Amino acid sequence: MQLLAEETNLFDFGLVGRQLPELLKYLPTTLELAALSMLIGLVLGLLLAIIRIKKIPVLRQIAAFYISIIRGTPAIVQLYIAYFGIPMFLKYMNLHYGTSFDISAFPGFACAVFAMGLNESAYNAETIRAALSSVDRGQIEAACAVGMTYPQALRRIILPEAMTVALPGLGNSFIGLIKGTSLAFTCAVVEMTAQGKILGGRNYRYFEVYVSLAIIYWAVTIIVERILKLIEKRLELPEQIDKKKDSVPETGSEVEEREAAVQYDTNTRPEKALSQ
Amino acid sequence: MIQIRDLKKRFRNNVVLDGIDLDINEGDVVGIIGPSGTGKSTLLRCIDLLEIPDGGSISIDGEKTELSRHSRSQTLSLRRNTGMVFQRFNLFERKTALENVMEGLVTVRKMKKAEARMCAEAELKRVGMLDWSGHYPKHLSGGQQQRVAIARALAMKPKLLLLDEPTSALDPELVGEVLETIKDIASQGFTMMLVSHEMNFVRNVANRVIFLDGGKIVEDGTPREVFDTPKSQRAKDFFAKMHLLRQPEYTI
Ligand SMILES: Nc1ncnc2c1ncn2[C@@H]1O[C@H](COP(=O)(O)OP(=O)(O)OP(=O)(O)O)[C@@H](O)[C@H]1O
Ligand SMILES: [Mg+2]
Repeated sequence: MQLLAEETNLFDFGLVGRQLPELLKYLPTTLELAALSMLIGLVLGLLLAIIRIKKIPVLRQIAAFYISIIRGTPAIVQLYIAYFGIPMFLKYMNLHYGTSFDISAFPGFACAVFAMGLNESAYNAETIRAALSSVDRGQIEAACAVGMTYPQALRRIILPEAMTVALPGLGNSFIGLIKGTSLAFTCAVVEMTAQGKILGGRNYRYFEVYVSLAIIYWAVTIIVERILKLIEKRLELPEQIDKKKDSVPETGSEVEEREAAVQYDTNTRPEKALSQ
Repeated sequence: MIQIRDLKKRFRNNVVLDGIDLDINEGDVVGIIGPSGTGKSTLLRCIDLLEIPDGGSISIDGEKTELSRHSRSQTLSLRRNTGMVFQRFNLFERKTALENVMEGLVTVRKMKKAEARMCAEAELKRVGMLDWSGHYPKHLSGGQQQRVAIARALAMKPKLLLLDEPTSALDPELVGEVLETIKDIASQGFTMMLVSHEMNFVRNVANRVIFLDGGKIVEDGTPREVFDTPKSQRAKDFFAKMHLLRQPEYTI
């Protein structure tokens, strides 16, 4: 009976659509994972980038070592290490420092965000570093010359400009991250792909469910791309600007005064006594 | 009163500044001239600590800073007392002319936005750029950018304004407007150090000229003294070369 159904209905087209709502219930989990990991990845990535650009001793070697490890190991391995490692670490803390972390309650979700955030940071660090060093030195010197501290210059001048350079790269890596969240099953997190597997396991319609998943991920990617394009547009400086018309025109007497000053300056300005 | 003492700077084995002593009175406009690569830019950059000197000190109105070993707060205070106008303008690309001038007032001087805006507009007006306050640097000509840069430096009310070849990145027809602006502010009593290759301009606008060569001040006097009756052979040679360059082509 079952076999017959499968033969007559090799690909259940309707099921692809009917399963969408079941999967979409887990879209928020997927997006939360991606967004939180991206946040960690951005903050930590910026920190790593600054350490490398400012060539801060010791921290710089640590940063290079960290980036090398993260980039040299598969993401899935990192997730497993976080999933098994973090509880072990907490247990160790409890034993040696008398803390009382509830290990069994520590959510896999946090482990997944932690691992994916660290992974993301290593890749973002490079993008951000390249963007920061693309900012023209002259502007940084100008910021210093008006008396800004480096953090002020970073926040007011360097980051806004580096942002526009880094945005496409960071956007790409965010899109990659959204799809990468499907690895979160390693930390026992049920996000969209994991839910798909569960649905497929119920009726053995794995093919249909993966097609549904593909459609959702694709749609999400397109939407995110659109949003990124919009942000890019907003960051663009305008092509042309109107000359201000409403400013008060200089009065005749002011112009005369200025000309008089210049005349005085060029012709009759006495040379001041020198200090030596 | 600004006193620079024994300012030294070298890059590896290249001694660029070999113990510069310089006293500048308030309101002085000091023109700095000399052959290319002689350390004129380095001198200004050392005063602003954009380059870290190997030794020497500067005191501005009695506030003394050891240039080679200075605290962060001293660096900031020195930079806040001096203003810099760069050869390549170095305006903040993502800010309008007005925002460029306001930036230091808001971020460094902690002025309220509205107050900073009024100050900035006054400065833009001083350099004749008020009508362009909404423009970004990429919308402005080189001369206009340099005038905004001058306004940006002036807005911080520096006790010493440093200008490093402010016109040498400009197309010839734009040089005039910037020189006019500088002449204008010189007449308003700002203390300035001006590096320039525009000899006629330096002669006109400065009340004191310094000829720098081999890491030392070789000539120091009024424009007339330095340009017309230089004492050193090096200065004489330099002016002779300058003079040759200035000859109309057909006489060569
Ligand atoms: N960062 C640096 N590293 C090494 N050498 C440098 C550096 N900056 C400047 N120099 C050297 O210092 C010397 C002085 O340079 P500086 O730019 O001060 O000359 P200048 O008088 O301003 O010349 P110009 O009239 O061409 O602008 C030059 O020989 C230059 O090669
Ligand atoms: Mg120079």
